[in-house]
Amino acid sequence: MATQAVNTQARSFSALFWRRFRRHKLAMVSLTFIALLVLVAVFAPWIAPHDPFAQPRSDDLSARIFAPPSPEHPLGTDDLGRDVLSRLIYGARISLLVGFAVSFSSVFVGLIMGALAGYYAGRPLRLYLGPLRQERGGWYPLGFALWRVLSWFAFYGLIYLLGQMVFGVTHLGREAGSPLAWAFFLLGVGALVWAAFWGFKGKAVLDLDTAISRLIDFMLAIPTLPLLLVLSALLRDPRVAFGAWIQGALGDAASVFLIILILVLFGWLTSARIVRGQILALREQDYATAAQALGASDFRVLFRHLVPNALAPLVVLSTLQIGNAILVESALSFLGFGIQPPVATWGNMLANAQEYIFMAPWLALPPGFMIFLTVLAFNFVGDGLRDALDPRSRL
Amino acid sequence: MIAYTVRRLLQMVPLLLAASFAIFALLALQPGDPLDEVRMQNPRITAEELQALRRAYGLDDPIHVRYAKWLTRVLQGDLGYSRTYGVAAAEYIFEQRLPKTLLLSGISLLVALLVAIPVGVFSAVRQYTPADYIVTFLAFVGLSIPNFFLGILLLYLFSVRLPEAIPGFPQFPTGGVPPLLFEEVRQGIVSLWEYLRLWAWHLVLPVIVLSTGSMAEWTRFMRASLLEVLSQDYIRTARAKGLAERVVLYKHALRNALIPIVTLVGLAIPGVMSGAVLTETVFSYPGMGRAIFDALVEKDYNVAMAALAFLALMVALFNLVTDLLYAVVDPRIRYS
Repeated sequence: MATQAVNTQARSFSALFWRRFRRHKLAMVSLTFIALLVLVAVFAPWIAPHDPFAQPRSDDLSARIFAPPSPEHPLGTDDLGRDVLSRLIYGARISLLVGFAVSFSSVFVGLIMGALAGYYAGRPLRLYLGPLRQERGGWYPLGFALWRVLSWFAFYGLIYLLGQMVFGVTHLGREAGSPLAWAFFLLGVGALVWAAFWGFKGKAVLDLDTAISRLIDFMLAIPTLPLLLVLSALLRDPRVAFGAWIQGALGDAASVFLIILILVLFGWLTSARIVRGQILALREQDYATAAQALGASDFRVLFRHLVPNALAPLVVLSTLQIGNAILVESALSFLGFGIQPPVATWGNMLANAQEYIFMAPWLALPPGFMIFLTVLAFNFVGDGLRDALDPRSRL
Repeated sequence: MIAYTVRRLLQMVPLLLAASFAIFALLALQPGDPLDEVRMQNPRITAEELQALRRAYGLDDPIHVRYAKWLTRVLQGDLGYSRTYGVAAAEYIFEQRLPKTLLLSGISLLVALLVAIPVGVFSAVRQYTPADYIVTFLAFVGLSIPNFFLGILLLYLFSVRLPEAIPGFPQFPTGGVPPLLFEEVRQGIVSLWEYLRLWAWHLVLPVIVLSTGSMAEWTRFMRASLLEVLSQDYIRTARAKGLAERVVLYKHALRNALIPIVTLVGLAIPGVMSGAVLTETVFSYPGMGRAIFDALVEKDYNVAMAALAFLALMVALFNLVTDLLYAVVDPRIRYS
């Protein structure tokens, strides 16, 4: 043949994806960097030159603390004479663990919440039916309508709490005989009696999508960083039952687990929003209708047909979120509310180094640059993934 | 539009109640109570006296009742006293801290915006040129550098290392605010010029640190937004009409590309008020972020509650303002 045959051989999606990803040079470099970092973290006990927690004995203390970089301690030693390089290597374990765990868990939670919200948007679920309402059907797992009974408890429990509030707020005023307090009290009690009666015969229809979206709005309205601080202090405190339990169960690792938990608590919001939008659009597609017409269950349509098509932006998001989680973890540890010493993390190493910045400036550079380079690498990989998966998205 | 605004404002009420209750409950659940200090200062206090104090302060009420009492007080305009500073919480937050934070974060926001828009436009117009690659790379660097590390780095370089190494190199302050009061200017002890110069001098490094992140983010956003607009049909039409490239770019493309920026800036404003704990910590700047942080550490819950509730209100309010502003700058958007 005279002309060269055009290569029309079909390529698999992953081959195409890899071809496009490879073109992003910085992403490739970053991927290599991350791979190396993972290796270093995994094999830390064999790579680290010293024990990261070992402090020199007191007889030679002055020579060993704040030692500038030397062949024996390539990055010097810190205020307790511990080897900075070894602590840096062990810190990589924590940062990567926190990054991956937070990102994957929060994308998973976000995926489920967003998928449910998107799929059930505009299809009301009756979350509450009054005791007087006679209706067939529904969920009878234990021989009675469990959900309905639970919702009565929730509803009347709420009325009870509101009642206590009305009593509590007007208590002093009523004792002093203030007519304003009495008016407020009677008004509140009246409103609650009316609500209780309404709840006895009526039904409240709540959209699952509205519930989840409102929850997201609500969590976005709370200033995040202070809340992270409060939660971390609260859950860590051994005087609180949960804190005592987790300290006992996990020891030093408790603060690592808590940080992951807290960051996931606030990390799923973005992915839930993205998935919700995607599912909302996808469920109108013909193939979703076709699957429903064939008699597939909601669960099957949602997780078998719709969710796989909504995954592409999540891959990018999860990569970016790894970097972000590492950044937030180091920020919290820097403020002293994150992972607690003696566990070495880049954040608390940097916090420690800041105190001695004028005396031993070499302490601050290594952890700072490691956080910076790791986050940068994850951002570049995310960018490469975005180019390869969906060049149009602006995530 | 008015009906929409009213509806959104009404929707804000339950949202804010829930948010403030959540914060209140979290603070109330913290171990230890304000009486710890009484116990510490007077170890011989009896259990009955403590119980009486507890009742007087309403500490033995359940949390939701305490919240309801707090809310009633706040609605009457009383935010309580700061235990650590001995002034009204409102005075401490809104007079001592908020203005300083608005100054620092406001300037940072402006700097970020003034750099991000032109650089983003430049980068979009020269898409796929070396200049564009450099800008993109720098934007990634700006997004990834932890601002507390950048702060420490700049502090070390510009306040210590460089002034030491190079004679005559200006030494930047290591943090804090100028040791001057505006009162001294009014009395003529220092000149206004000197006062402003000192302030500017103290703000240079924190502003650089604080603006880096949003500068990088907005540059990328501006670039993407402008590129999207430039690929539209009406831009091709404008070019086909023979308009000068300058007119196409600034009159047709840029004005549309700026619309999404409104959202970004609107949503960043509550962040301006919440201050920046990390930057303020590194530069020991007395702003809101640090105030909230200290209040949490010192268990000064009146201050923490007032500040956090105020911030939640601002987040909700600026969400609404942003949505409304969006309709103003983009007539295609209508709310009904």
